[in-house]
Amino acid sequence: MAFLEVRNLTKHFGGLVAVSALNLDIFDSEILGIIGPNGAGKSTFFNIVNGFYPPTKGKVIFRGRDIIGLKAHQIAQLGIGRSFQASTLFMNLTVFDNVFTGFYMSYKEAVWMSFLHAPYALREERGAKRRVMEILEFMGLAELKDQIAYNLPHGHQRILGICIALATQPKLLLLDEPLTGMHLEETSTMLNLIKKIQNSGMTIVLVEHNMEAVMRLCDRIIVLNHGKKIAEGLPKEIRDNKDVIEAYLGTEEEFEPIAS
Amino acid sequence: MEKWLRIYSMKLCTKEVTLFIVLGIIILLLPLLMKSPYQMHLIIMLCINIVLAMSFAMLFSTGLITIGAAAFWAIGAYASALLVMNLNLSFWLALPLASIITGVIAFMLGSIIVRAPGVAFVVQTMVINMIIVQALGQMEFLGGWGGILDIPRPNPIGSIKFVSKTNYYYLILFLLLLTVVVFYALYSSRIGRAWRSIRLNPRLAQTLGINLFRYRLLAFIVASMSAGLVGSFYAHYFGTIEPNTFSVFKSIYIQIYGILGGLNFYLMGPTIGALIMTLVPEFLRIGKEIEPILTGGILILLVIFLPGGILSLPERMGSLAAAFLSRIKKKVSLH
Repeated sequence: MAFLEVRNLTKHFGGLVAVSALNLDIFDSEILGIIGPNGAGKSTFFNIVNGFYPPTKGKVIFRGRDIIGLKAHQIAQLGIGRSFQASTLFMNLTVFDNVFTGFYMSYKEAVWMSFLHAPYALREERGAKRRVMEILEFMGLAELKDQIAYNLPHGHQRILGICIALATQPKLLLLDEPLTGMHLEETSTMLNLIKKIQNSGMTIVLVEHNMEAVMRLCDRIIVLNHGKKIAEGLPKEIRDNKDVIEAYLGTEEEFEPIAS
Repeated sequence: MEKWLRIYSMKLCTKEVTLFIVLGIIILLLPLLMKSPYQMHLIIMLCINIVLAMSFAMLFSTGLITIGAAAFWAIGAYASALLVMNLNLSFWLALPLASIITGVIAFMLGSIIVRAPGVAFVVQTMVINMIIVQALGQMEFLGGWGGILDIPRPNPIGSIKFVSKTNYYYLILFLLLLTVVVFYALYSSRIGRAWRSIRLNPRLAQTLGINLFRYRLLAFIVASMSAGLVGSFYAHYFGTIEPNTFSVFKSIYIQIYGILGGLNFYLMGPTIGALIMTLVPEFLRIGKEIEPILTGGILILLVIFLPGGILSLPERMGSLAAAFLSRIKKKVSLH
């Protein structure tokens, strides 16, 4: 059984069809790349899986459970974490506090125990603080822990975004264009980090424009165009696929932009 | 043992602690320093305003802006007056009960309006404030626009009778402290962190598993309960309450207290803001007619020139000085 099954998923925005009858499977511990031209429905797909948008039709089954209709915070609690396209961080907080906030779900004590500053709750919070440092060390941001997120360079902000997602201890991690706007050196750092995260036993889905990187990183690739899946396979197969080349280089007809 | 004592005393002798103790003594002995009952009355009203401003700040800490704080102050005041006058309850029972009743009403209203944050929430709280004032004015059994008169003083505890302003002062000081302690515990706990994350980035907060609705509702209830608590005090301190005291105007004033002090300082901001806005107009002897114009002007100037409030001044001065220095350095290096 697949880790995440998507069946007949469709999303309309008024008259626009952002995702249409999408079927796909994501398997345990793989890195799946989702590529496609602008407006192909990649981000919409993420926003549906993550609970921000309700789909028009279709099912998303995560580890045997239909998650359609659940709120974003409930889906996060089930173990789907995500990073965002733009640098979506708590900009005024330090790097440490950003990740510390991400540990919200990991506490077992009731919330009001924390309000009463009960010893057990405080111990739990100290444990979380230790684990924040573990994540920062794992991702190479430990030295920047006291910096305000706003002051970080772009590459570090993107890494921090993933650190926050990791703090929720997800089973499935959705990365929305993790490499956008990065220069070569940052890109290779990020690629190594994503590989490292996979090796620690996580399943990763990523949406990305940087073809070179996707080909190198992903175990499997799915290509979307106009909200439909046009190809699926190993990186090698995708590279030679006629439909994919056509979608990227264009044919006579121009594709209309679709809200993503 | 001696070593521990030394470490302990070293920790205690910091500047902040000294300042804190001195301030604490001044606050406790304030009734001795005041010359007239009128000044005492000002200080008591100041304490009420501080609590109201803190309730505004609590909602702001979750990214909600309310122009309806006075409505819950009114609910507390009316609930308490009715409980004591109609059911013959003791003030000491009515005080917590009024707060709880306010909390229940906040829960019912909040479950509807907290779902729509942003401008919708601002307008809804304002409309609720207007409706409540209208309703209080129209209902005959609540005294109509004339309000409720002759609300009994708090029942004496032992030999302490609530006649002089001094005793009222210590009572409101206790309520203020209670609010500060509870609010501080909330802000420094996981709840406060969740609130902060909702304010800074609601979308990201959601993906961390934080239930936006529930946390905003909690803030709404707690803030309203504290407003209801001082509402009850106000009713029995002032002796009369009338609907127009609790108008939207008051809510806007409460908002200005919060903004003036600094919205990023959830406890100190409201204190400083309320302190200035309550005392300065009195000392300058500004007429009640001009006061709204003046405060409106202050609000506009604040939003344009000092959006972080008075408490953000040191930091701002620091960054301005740094910018100035770096400019000088550049000039020097150019020559």
